[in-house]
Amino acid sequence: MEMSKKYWKGIDELKQTPEFIKHKDQEFPNQQSVEDFLADENLAESSTARRDFLKFLGFSVAAATLAACEAPVTKVVPYAVKPENVTPGMPTWYASTYYDGSSYASIMVKTREGRPIFIKGNKDFGFTKGGTNPQIIASVLGLYDSARLTQPLYKGSKTTWGAVDDGIKEALKNAGKVTLLSNTVISPSIKRAIAEMAAQFNGEGESKFEHIQYDAISYAGMREANLLNFGARIIPSYDFSKAKTIVSVGADFLSTWLLPTEFAVQYGATRNPEGEWMSKHFQFESVLSVTGSNADVRSMIKPSEEAAVLAYMIKAVQGKAATGGSWKAAADKAVAALKKSKKSSLVVAGSNHIGVQQLANELNNILGAYGSTIDLSNTIELHQSEDAKALKLAANVAAGKGPDVLIMMGVNPVYSLPNGAAFAKGLKSIKTSVAISSFEDETASNCTYVCPDHHQLENWTDHQAKAGEYAIGQPTIRPLHNTASALESLLVWNGAANRGGQDSAVAYDYIKATFAAMNPTGDFNYLTHNSCTTLPVVPAVLTFTAAAVKDLPKSADTEVVFYQKAAIGNGQFANNPWLQEMPDPVTKVTWDNYITMNPVEMEGKYATTYDQEHGLNLATVTVNGKSVTLPVYPLPGQAPKTIGIALGYGRGANGENIGKAAFQTKEYGGHAQTEDGKLTPIGANVFGMLSTGATLLYSAAAKVTDANGTYPIAATQIHHTVMGRDSIVRETTLSIFKEREKDAYNEAHKLQKLDKHGKHVEAPVSEFDLWAAHPVEKIGHRWGISIDLSSCIGCGSCLIACQSENNVPVVGKDEVRRGREMHWLRIDRYFASDEEAAVGTKADKETFSYDAAEIPALNPSVVHMPLMCHHCNHAPCETVCPVAATTHSNEGLNQMAYNRCIGTRYCANNCPYKVRRFNWFNYPSYKKFTEVNPAQDDLGRMVLNPDVTVRTRGVMEKCSLCVQRIQATKLVAKKEARVIADGEFATACSDACPTNAIVVGDWNDLKSMIREKSEGVRAYQALEEVGVKPNVWYQVKVRNEDNSLLDHIQVAEQAHH
Amino acid sequence: MEISNIQSLKRIKSLAFASLIFSFAVFSNFASAQGEGLFKAKCATCHMPHKNSTGPKLAGVRAKWAAGGAKDGSIYQWVNNWQTAAANDPYAAEVSKWSPTAMSAFPDLKKEDIDAILDWVDAQPDPAAGGGATAGGGATGAEGALSAEPVEEESNTWIWLIMGVIFVVIIMAVGGVRRQLKIATSEEEGEAEKMTYGEELRALAWKYRLQVGLATLVVVISIIVALFQSLYSINIMEGYQPSQPIAFPHSQHAGINGIDCKYCHNTVTKSKSASIPSVNVCMNCHKQIDGAGKPFEGQIKKIYAAAGWDKEGMKYTGKTKPIVWNKVHVLPEHVYFNHSQHVVVGGLDCKQCHGDMTQQVETVKVQPVEELNKIEGNIKLTRKTLTMGWCIECHGKKDVAIGNGKNAYYDEIHRRLKKDPKLYAQYLNDDGKVTVNELGGWECAKCHY
Repeated sequence: MEMSKKYWKGIDELKQTPEFIKHKDQEFPNQQSVEDFLADENLAESSTARRDFLKFLGFSVAAATLAACEAPVTKVVPYAVKPENVTPGMPTWYASTYYDGSSYASIMVKTREGRPIFIKGNKDFGFTKGGTNPQIIASVLGLYDSARLTQPLYKGSKTTWGAVDDGIKEALKNAGKVTLLSNTVISPSIKRAIAEMAAQFNGEGESKFEHIQYDAISYAGMREANLLNFGARIIPSYDFSKAKTIVSVGADFLSTWLLPTEFAVQYGATRNPEGEWMSKHFQFESVLSVTGSNADVRSMIKPSEEAAVLAYMIKAVQGKAATGGSWKAAADKAVAALKKSKKSSLVVAGSNHIGVQQLANELNNILGAYGSTIDLSNTIELHQSEDAKALKLAANVAAGKGPDVLIMMGVNPVYSLPNGAAFAKGLKSIKTSVAISSFEDETASNCTYVCPDHHQLENWTDHQAKAGEYAIGQPTIRPLHNTASALESLLVWNGAANRGGQDSAVAYDYIKATFAAMNPTGDFNYLTHNSCTTLPVVPAVLTFTAAAVKDLPKSADTEVVFYQKAAIGNGQFANNPWLQEMPDPVTKVTWDNYITMNPVEMEGKYATTYDQEHGLNLATVTVNGKSVTLPVYPLPGQAPKTIGIALGYGRGANGENIGKAAFQTKEYGGHAQTEDGKLTPIGANVFGMLSTGATLLYSAAAKVTDANGTYPIAATQIHHTVMGRDSIVRETTLSIFKEREKDAYNEAHKLQKLDKHGKHVEAPVSEFDLWAAHPVEKIGHRWGISIDLSSCIGCGSCLIACQSENNVPVVGKDEVRRGREMHWLRIDRYFASDEEAAVGTKADKETFSYDAAEIPALNPSVVHMPLMCHHCNHAPCETVCPVAATTHSNEGLNQMAYNRCIGTRYCANNCPYKVRRFNWFNYPSYKKFTEVNPAQDDLGRMVLNPDVTVRTRGVMEKCSLCVQRIQATKLVAKKEARVIADGEFATACSDACPTNAIVVGDWNDLKSMIREKSEGVRAYQALEEVGVKPNVWYQVKVRNEDNSLLDHIQVAEQAHH
Repeated sequence: MEISNIQSLKRIKSLAFASLIFSFAVFSNFASAQGEGLFKAKCATCHMPHKNSTGPKLAGVRAKWAAGGAKDGSIYQWVNNWQTAAANDPYAAEVSKWSPTAMSAFPDLKKEDIDAILDWVDAQPDPAAGGGATAGGGATGAEGALSAEPVEEESNTWIWLIMGVIFVVIIMAVGGVRRQLKIATSEEEGEAEKMTYGEELRALAWKYRLQVGLATLVVVISIIVALFQSLYSINIMEGYQPSQPIAFPHSQHAGINGIDCKYCHNTVTKSKSASIPSVNVCMNCHKQIDGAGKPFEGQIKKIYAAAGWDKEGMKYTGKTKPIVWNKVHVLPEHVYFNHSQHVVVGGLDCKQCHGDMTQQVETVKVQPVEELNKIEGNIKLTRKTLTMGWCIECHGKKDVAIGNGKNAYYDEIHRRLKKDPKLYAQYLNDDGKVTVNELGGWECAKCHY
């Protein structure tokens, strides 16, 4: 924001007219004396005298008051015929499966009166064991997106299914060549339908029909490497829960790589320092990823060094001499750990380069991981992208040599192909192009036919995400629009079925038949109840064969990494405002993509600090002759001489109608427009910069040049460190934790007091009380939360689940910049500075410098700390409320009565945790939020949880500890005349947590998990010394690392005491 | 499983109600008591004398069978077990196709019993034939009252307004005439003093200043009081009785027919809302009871329209249209109220908050607290019904049965409470019981979240 900008009051000022100069110092122009005014004879003739005006005013006030007294008549419409499984006012849960082409999970869908309103992971069934990610939880909002297509399109205008089907069937009949370009198909039924289609076309040795699988994010490198090493184009299953040593070279397996919903759960299980063993996690990467931020040892490497790191480790593990680079120290530690854990090790590489994956395979083979942590039999069937075929097709289409009929299903190649623009042009020359897509997106808007697919939650689907795992997705709502299942469309075009309309059973019957064929003894109803079942797996007899590693990536002076962000991923949910507003787990930036660069490298060139007023400097990145201009974000831990840019942004660059929230908004509402009147996309699309070798590559040589100007950025956290304050974050190492007493790493805060002899003695904080204690400790319930900083990976699922459960409004970028985001739960991310031995521990108390402690280290260790209302038993917010709108319950809850709140905001000012959020605007109606807040349109409003009030302007709100769920849980127990079982009550955040880092429960239940956690040796309370006695406990973060400095402080100094 | 047993019991009960209702619908003048009794006990659930319902009409059925060429005695066989009859007699086989609903077997009915029933049936006058119309039209007073539409208040108001305006005009005209006369007389008498209206009024006011002052004071005070009262009455729902699309008499259903509240409002034990029954619940009984010829026939037709019931063809058309009711008990949106909490856990009876619906002849209204206080066993409350004060007052007085071994949840609460004997004693000391508010029933987030 430029503050030197000059604004003119009008043309007069600009032109400095004599009139203007004469009057410019008068605040009120044309001043008239009172006498003049009263002497004006015309005054009495004016139509409305002053008294009349007052009379009118009085009348209208009275009239308005009277009108307001009239209570509006509320209508109530019961069902004409009530469906059997719906009880108005009670939720109905469905077990289902989520798959969007990249993320996969077994889920539970909560519906109210037939509307899906909440999604959580299924902890009872399915191999993902309750793992989810923010996109899966937020997908429920996508169902109610008003930009979704409501009926099929022909050349951009609405048409009927009958016309579409006739047209496509005719085109298929006359076509010489038909190509189906889809994302990875894991549905056995769709595979069967495609095979039937192919059989029909490819009779007698013809090859008229071709099916190509293509994903925006490709894992072809892994499959090709496995083809070379094992003779099969497979991706094996990885089991992180068995891996005592995890080495990841550029793989963000907790957030975006391969199957994070499964891996995060497995990983979380190994991060328990109280357990038998705790995994040791090494990460070699360029951009600080969610996974990297959780690593015990993290090393910064350039993408071109990935192969070198793996090659070094291969040699070193075998005891051979090798030379290493700047990463050698970390690699040596990793080698030592790998040698120790041998087959209980797991090496993963994130690169899509065949050679790098071959090296990872070789290392795993040497360690003996195959058959132990890696299962070659139960293969992962996701991510089947065939890059070579897809790129060839893209080139053909771009050159005008495409097939006669091109059906595109679940893909958006115009957006995600490196030559997307040329592809779009070529698409128009194809005789018949068909897009099976829910939106008229970049690709669909260039197609002859657009056939809208059902939303996941409206559809019968089946999935085989792994060779031995079969799952189905069931509809949880009748289709909202005139859409049709993709499976049905394929069957209809193939002549195998007729359209079934809105209540079609075509897909259902077909899936049932598929299941019966695959599992003849299986019970389909039982399958529907659980959503999944296992299939027998034929043990693979594959042995590792070494193969020559070719064309390793070349190094460049500056290299760029194209990565995915936890919320936006590959960009298919760019129109989801929940995800856009979710702060990135590492950078905490919302609503934008940017160039990440290490602040050390930015020094002197770009601004390394930013706030509401001061944006970030812009820079231009040029890769392969293509360039984008984006702000430069200072990311500690970014490898020197590398930059990172997130994929998935710049959606709708031609103003395609992909959803309101996918575009930039103006300060007072409305979409920002470019000079040529198009909507401005958020961020820039960098898919065009991917290099294409044998596979798509997500790193390249880049040139960074300065660009003029700054760009405002909306981050929810602009400080980076805790500056050595151990009362917020506490961290220790595994060896200290195992060997030492609690006092070494988790010392209770002590205050001075006078004993009865008048001497100063130290006493724990718990002995000091300002007020009489609330009666929460003995009677009734006392609800509490425990958050394990060791297992929290910072993924952001809890934040989105909270938003979904509690009707948290979306406020848009401008408001986030003003610090007015409304999230009830935030995840603070803290970097260690060079002044700290670990996050929160001063390295040297004597020389500690607060100025230096503000600056994160070059490659800092990171702590993610979810923070919500602490429900303090001595809550400072309660005592300052002038109208008692926030009070304490005898169950330990800090309750907020919205209709009592008058908005003084004293409470927020007095909250030491800064978790209270003030409603500055009427988010559900004010025009500024029309584009971003889903509650502003009739469809989007359907996602609101009817058990939680939608707060209005001028009141304070905050985490209620999901009081609606507490009440519901209690009521169920009361009605069944039984006590509440431990674990029965779950908040939205604890429900969503893939690593079970968040534990909630009744503290007064002596056998409860929360009681056990709160009394454990790692338990501490943030800002305990303030004496607010919160009901939230944190568990000390334990890193499985060697930290001699911390050893010195926590062990040596303690001994000294 | 216990719940489903209760439900099945209710279903049986409801069938009993249905047959009961028939017995009211059919009027008898004379017949053998045996025939009438048997008909009502065995047949009336499905059959009517002069009208097809689940089963065909029974009047003249013997003659009909004979004319149709049925074998002798076949009809008695049919009643005992229709399948035997259908197997033996082609006419009976034909009759069995009348409806897909199979008739129950009555093997215990002897030939004379059946004859007695059919004699009685044949003796019943046909209401459609005119002679019996008076019998059919003999509506009870309650039914007559309910069919009357609520009186339109608006028209009355207009009359009053117009009359008021006329009166004002007359008064002013009279006053004007009087004044003109006065001026005329004064002119005649040559009095110089001419007072305007205002001056006259002021003089008059000054003359009676004490009275005027007092009157003004009274007026001002009453305005203030009225203002405050009207402000306090904002959103007071007491006595609220909106019109309804169907003039549903609870007195008929819950009162005369004795249908349990929970039969129709069947989510009251499961959910936060008691829920207005969906039309398919109405149809459980009204499939039979069509009110033909009764003043409320039109009301029942509305149910048929909503359910898509084709009365003539005795089948559903599939075209349903939900009924849009006007909500009576409206709570603000920031209030969470759960029926099942109060009914199942608290053990409240519906009438404790909704009044005695068996007496509610007109459409539902929010019962004033004075009426509710008359209900036996109710805590006497002072605040207006459905206000927060009303809730709070009850929560402050109502005791919670804890520690009596009947509900393990409350036993656990009791066990924990005993750990703090001082507090427990404090709870008991004031009124000798643990009230809802002492367990947290006055806390904001119990109802507001």
